[in-house]
Amino acid sequence: MKTAQAGTLESMDCIVTVTETEKGRGISIAMEGASIVRFGEAMLKATKDTLKDLGVRDISVSIQDNGAGDLVLKARVEAAVRRFAGVRTP
Amino acid sequence: MRLRRTKLYLPGNNPNMLLRGHLFGPDGVILDLEDAVAMSEKDAARILVRDVLKRGDFGDCEVTVRINGMDTEYWKTDIETVVPCGIDGIRIPKVEDPKDIALMDEALSQIESKARIPVGRTLIFCLLETALGVWRAFDIARASKRVAAICPGGEDLRADLKTTRSENSEELIGPRRMIALAAHAAGVDALDTVYADITDDAGLRRETEWVKQLGFQGKSVIHPNQIPVVHDVFTPTAKEIEQAKKIVEAAAEAAARGLGAVQVDGRMVDKPVVKRAEYTLQRAGLKAGGEKA
Repeated sequence: MKTAQAGTLESMDCIVTVTETEKGRGISIAMEGASIVRFGEAMLKATKDTLKDLGVRDISVSIQDNGAGDLVLKARVEAAVRRFAGVRTP
Repeated sequence: MRLRRTKLYLPGNNPNMLLRGHLFGPDGVILDLEDAVAMSEKDAARILVRDVLKRGDFGDCEVTVRINGMDTEYWKTDIETVVPCGIDGIRIPKVEDPKDIALMDEALSQIESKARIPVGRTLIFCLLETALGVWRAFDIARASKRVAAICPGGEDLRADLKTTRSENSEELIGPRRMIALAAHAAGVDALDTVYADITDDAGLRRETEWVKQLGFQGKSVIHPNQIPVVHDVFTPTAKEIEQAKKIVEAAAEAAARGLGAVQVDGRMVDKPVVKRAEYTLQRAGLKAGGEKA
């Protein structure tokens, strides 16, 4: 199964792993980390917004968070998706 | 005059440092896409740096990005990504040829124009990390009006000189002198390389005092703890400021009375002394003027 990853587990960072899903299955997002309880909703929105901006419709996203804010999360999602698509330039 | 006493390197793939580095109060930050980023992470770092730049929260810091060298496949994408964010400048590693600076000037103009940024806004800081680069320092500094500073390399330069690091960096005496001379001849700043031992404050102070004496305006730092030491060396003392004020005021008074020379505290003060006093006040932020940019 095709997959790609970006980020680290350093402080204020996260690891985003994207995995291909069947066409039409939509987007699924799984998150883990200490901040999820408080910021889970915002992180979910940031991830969905980034995927939408990148035109991604079907993908599975896994986020291991270590205090990444929206800005870092979005950057890591974009990097993972671009790697998944084989495009290593923004 | 823009103070460039310290420039703090921030690794381009490290969110913690990128977002918090400016809080330690350096005069400038260098978001690093080159040596601090592994080859496999260049893409992710570029995206992260772009988004941190877009947020634009750097206080009063001069914001520069160290791009990958012009001998790599990355430099064009680097500048296309970061320049539209409205940065103050780019830092180019391993500059050896004035023609490369002219080429970079043109590339920056195109990007600025497309991004509707005033053409010429993005300054160039040149890292001279080879013997050839140092030898051509003056021509490199004059290759574009954008060049704001030239800076000697450290380890790369030592390797190119086929030497090693000595306790007092004697191997870099010549290059540093050449760069200070070339920078002032060309009208740009001379900014020194990093002091690698982040636990040795006394060594850092000694080296900083020495490069200041050579004519450098500042130094890159790799750890926030190095900032106060370097600032302390490059900031005029209260006594120096008082003396400089006296000299500048006395010179102004003499000029108003049509006199060439003037006495301060029983000593004759001539033009170079007045110039140095004015420079002291500029560095203390008490007088406008100084080098370009």
